[in-house]
Amino acid sequence: MTTSAKPGQARAQGPTIADTLRGDKKPAPCPLLEQQYQFIGDEDIPVERYIDPAFFAAEMAQLWPNSWQWACREEHIPDAGDSYVYNIGPYSVIIARMEDNAIKAFLNVCTHRGTRLIDGEGTAYTPAFTCPFHGWSWHLDGTVRNIPGRWDFPHVSDETHGLMQVSCAQWGGFVFINLDREAKPLEDYLGVMVEHFKDFPLEQRQIRVHVQKLLPANWKTAQEAFMEAYHNFETHDSPHGANAQYDIFSEYVSRFIHNIGNYSPEALSDYPGDKWRAPPMTEEQVLAALSVQGRTLAVGETARQVAAQVMREELGEQLGVDFSGYSDAIMLDSIEYHLFPNMFFFPGVMIPMVYRFRPNGEDVDSCIFDVLVLEPLAEDQAHPEPPDPIQLDVDQSYTEAQELGWLAPVYDEDTGNLALLTAGLKSSRKGVTLGNYQEARIRRVHQTLDQFMASSRPFK
Amino acid sequence: MTTDTFRVVSRTDDIPQGKTLCISTNAGEVLICHTNEGFYAVDNLCTHAAARMSEGKLKGCRILCPLHGAAFDVRDGSVLSKPAREGLRSYPVKVENGDVLLGGIS
Repeated sequence: MTTSAKPGQARAQGPTIADTLRGDKKPAPCPLLEQQYQFIGDEDIPVERYIDPAFFAAEMAQLWPNSWQWACREEHIPDAGDSYVYNIGPYSVIIARMEDNAIKAFLNVCTHRGTRLIDGEGTAYTPAFTCPFHGWSWHLDGTVRNIPGRWDFPHVSDETHGLMQVSCAQWGGFVFINLDREAKPLEDYLGVMVEHFKDFPLEQRQIRVHVQKLLPANWKTAQEAFMEAYHNFETHDSPHGANAQYDIFSEYVSRFIHNIGNYSPEALSDYPGDKWRAPPMTEEQVLAALSVQGRTLAVGETARQVAAQVMREELGEQLGVDFSGYSDAIMLDSIEYHLFPNMFFFPGVMIPMVYRFRPNGEDVDSCIFDVLVLEPLAEDQAHPEPPDPIQLDVDQSYTEAQELGWLAPVYDEDTGNLALLTAGLKSSRKGVTLGNYQEARIRRVHQTLDQFMASSRPFK
Repeated sequence: MTTDTFRVVSRTDDIPQGKTLCISTNAGEVLICHTNEGFYAVDNLCTHAAARMSEGKLKGCRILCPLHGAAFDVRDGSVLSKPAREGLRSYPVKVENGDVLLGGIS
């Protein structure tokens, strides 16, 4: 272990991610070469933040009504009249495509007596909105269309009783909403992501598979299992990730990068056992672990170079996408951007996911985990109709979603510890301890959450 | 039910995938739905407030009512969301030689 006088300066032994990226045959784009980390504290995180119904209720009042959240993809609502219902805690929003192709979002609430207008979640079709209680109706743009017995409502007008609009913005092919009508622009939250993702446009992607699983943990407990690669050794029996790079770009955006197709035996120097360390894996073994078949390494070739090239050729042909200019890192690596409070975007090709962790209704101890596999789409191809989410209950395995392929057992491992975490947090005498570097992104989320709890306006 | 009760109602080419066709029968209006899983048929009137499902939209295997947004699974007519409580009646469909055949109606 490298020792350091100042907390947060120590790093794993051996080569860094930046070293690997600099040595790649096809060099990484500039955003991946940026590094930004600073020590932000080492106090324990109080367990109440994960298990206390009062803290959860405060989040419902202060955090969720004031946070930008992606609700759906633009291709979920391609035509005028198409809409999508998105639920977060007790709140429900209708996102609708207007006649002029614009997208607007409304609270899913009748302005007469408060009935929820559309039940459930997901795609809907609403050429007009009609309340099932008294039949009040609204045009697609939210203006009043008809009020039965209008004579009794001289005090009602478009101004007072149009559907209640919420903030709505688009980025990367996603539609975001914010219940706060006076929210700061989405771009202020996205920060470096606007620039970084110009190199990896998520607009030009399609949903290959969407899995929605109920998890037995608070939404933060669950998402924090995905914010570091420190767990890879124990949870996934994997050598990758011990030298992962962590960046905190702002109060809202952080990132990790961990390499696939090579690893650092030195970074595992104080991990138990000799596995992957003494002796280290050969390049041939690394290549075989990536399921690259029928290809041997020529002198001077690395598993990483070859795996990236095989994927460029095979996936390129399969998808009709030209990957010839893509770097080794974008082809292979796990590159994960987190956007506060609960969203993850991966610009990679082999690891092309998007995550979202939401409270399950108003339950502090469970959450809904959305996984989208967002596959590159050929330039001349229109977005196909997205698949409906495959819904999995707490006890179901990801392997039941066959479309996930090799990812399914990985997600079973990632989520397999959550019930134990919830149980342990409820019976602990101390708070949650975080690594200064590898788990700093988790701390950043809690610090930003504190800002919301202290300063946001309650929902109104 | 025997195959004798099936009758040709459309050419497959006349209903692109993702689209529907409303036909009149002795049992009332029936909606033929061409999903990515094949052809299905359900009653055209919503069980909630009798709106025409043909004026709604087919999304995957769900048909969405244009009036109050109730959703039904066209594969068996089962109700997926409120305010509907009862499912749509569903009818057997088969495809032969490029024809769509509807059964279950005398």
